[in-house]
Amino acid sequence: MLELKGLTCGYGRFVAVRDLSFTVRRGEAMAVLGANGAGKTSTLMAIAGQVAVQSGAILFDGEDITALSPMARCARGLALAPEGRRLFRDLTVRENLVVGGYVRAARATAANMDKVLALFPRLEERLDNLAGSLSGGEQQMAAIGRAMMAEPRLLLIDEVSLGLMPKNVDICYEALDALRRAGLTIVLIEQSLERVLDMVDHVCVLESGSLAWAGTAADARGNPDVIRAYMGGVHG
Amino acid sequence: MLHVELVLQGLVNGSMYAVVAIGLTLIYGLLRILHVAHAGLYTLGAYITVLTTNATGSLALGILAAMLVVGLCGMLVYRLLYEPMLERPPYVALIASIGLFICMEESYRIVFGPYGSSFDMPRLGERIALGPISIAAADAAMLVGAIVLLTGLAMLMRRTRFGVAWRATVTDPAMARSFGIDTIKVRYVNFFIASVFAAAAGSLVAVLNNLVEPTMGSVPSYKSLAIIVLGGLGQVGGTLAAALLLGVIEAYGTIYAGAYLDRDAIAFIFLIVVLMIRPQGLFARGS
Ligand SMILES: Nc1ncnc2c1ncn2[C@@H]1O[C@H](COP(=O)(O)OP(=O)(O)OP(=O)(O)O)[C@@H](O)[C@H]1O
Ligand SMILES: [Mg+2]
Repeated sequence: MLELKGLTCGYGRFVAVRDLSFTVRRGEAMAVLGANGAGKTSTLMAIAGQVAVQSGAILFDGEDITALSPMARCARGLALAPEGRRLFRDLTVRENLVVGGYVRAARATAANMDKVLALFPRLEERLDNLAGSLSGGEQQMAAIGRAMMAEPRLLLIDEVSLGLMPKNVDICYEALDALRRAGLTIVLIEQSLERVLDMVDHVCVLESGSLAWAGTAADARGNPDVIRAYMGGVHG
Repeated sequence: MLHVELVLQGLVNGSMYAVVAIGLTLIYGLLRILHVAHAGLYTLGAYITVLTTNATGSLALGILAAMLVVGLCGMLVYRLLYEPMLERPPYVALIASIGLFICMEESYRIVFGPYGSSFDMPRLGERIALGPISIAAADAAMLVGAIVLLTGLAMLMRRTRFGVAWRATVTDPAMARSFGIDTIKVRYVNFFIASVFAAAAGSLVAVLNNLVEPTMGSVPSYKSLAIIVLGGLGQVGGTLAAALLLGVIEAYGTIYAGAYLDRDAIAFIFLIVVLMIRPQGLFARGS
């Protein structure tokens, strides 16, 4: 479903990620791990079309989307829950969800909103609050919900649990698990190793912008290479 | 009754400022451009109204023509002037905008003559009595026109998908794009609507004064810039409140200080004092 071929991306002349290749198959979940500054967010934003690709290619369903606008990628079924959530703060939660579904027909909005509320019942009472007034956990739920409004086939999500209370981490992971079981393909970035390995099929670890390790979640568990790369060379 | 009439007069002027300044706020909110040439479009709207009305005999047609043509001109200004300099520091667009404004004023002088134009038949000169108070028909038209335009804008922004997408784009253009919003189209619509508002204000002022002049945009230009700062840069609600407040202050000032100072001087003293005390604007939110 998603294939990166020698992706090199960055900011201006600065290279944040170099020659990265991996494949995510339909219905799979893949975790991108790595230390601070390893290039995880840059990779995800390049897939979403927000960070400039310097060389290499991004294939989505076999189609080369490297040169497509973020809009066109969204229309093809790619949705983003970005680092820092980046909700539209001055809009209500309901309006954020409406924007999430902007690429889909207006008449699909109500049904999709019901699905999001079934996933995150907590958002129901917050629908008419400004997104900027939500707690961290609610913001993450709203960000995932906003992405789901676009009826994506691939969900990109950055820092699932960062800054969330344990209870909200559970809610978010349970939601992602349910979505995956329903057939959604997911690429996620996570800081805390424990939770994520239970949920994903594959893991790739970035180290200073390059692929340091790739394998199944089972192999990653307790693997010293993963832990070392993940710690960003703190121990070596 | 004096107070009622003063407040009413203030609201009439304030609603004119509001219609002009909200256009500026929309553009500042989206692109961080101080669109000084906005007042040039306002003048253009006034001229088109007078010329079309004199040619066709229909004021309604004159106002509609002004709104449409000026709306399109606004999009053209974006395309030809601002779009090429969006990546530059903001003062580049500001200087270009001031240049365009001067250029527009001089063009009006060359094309329409320096002495101004009037309606062949004076318009809406009569007064409407509302119980004990009376209001000039042109003033009433200004108030009603402003209410219609601002309510229409609020409905568009709050009630339609496009309006919500527009506000999302103002908040975070990159994220808006990632959700499939055509942010370029949002910019064009933004310039169109802002310019339509400038034209409507110009039309109504032309009716109010029965006179349009090449330089009629100068004072509204400075005042509306000050108003949008007062309103907390980019905030539509704050801009509206600041515009109405300024209108009322002016109306009172003209009565109580009019012997020493003219209306514009009173307005600017008020603006300078407020901005000295609250440089972040009257309604700035904590970040
Ligand atoms: N907007 C930017 N402009 C310039 N350089 C950037 C920008 N964003 C990130 N970088 C640089 O790119 C490199 C990779 O950053 P990136 O945000 O992709 O890392 P990350 O793995 O997501 O880190 P974190 O765990 O802190 O979120 C870093 O060296 C960072 O300083
Ligand atoms: Mg990151």
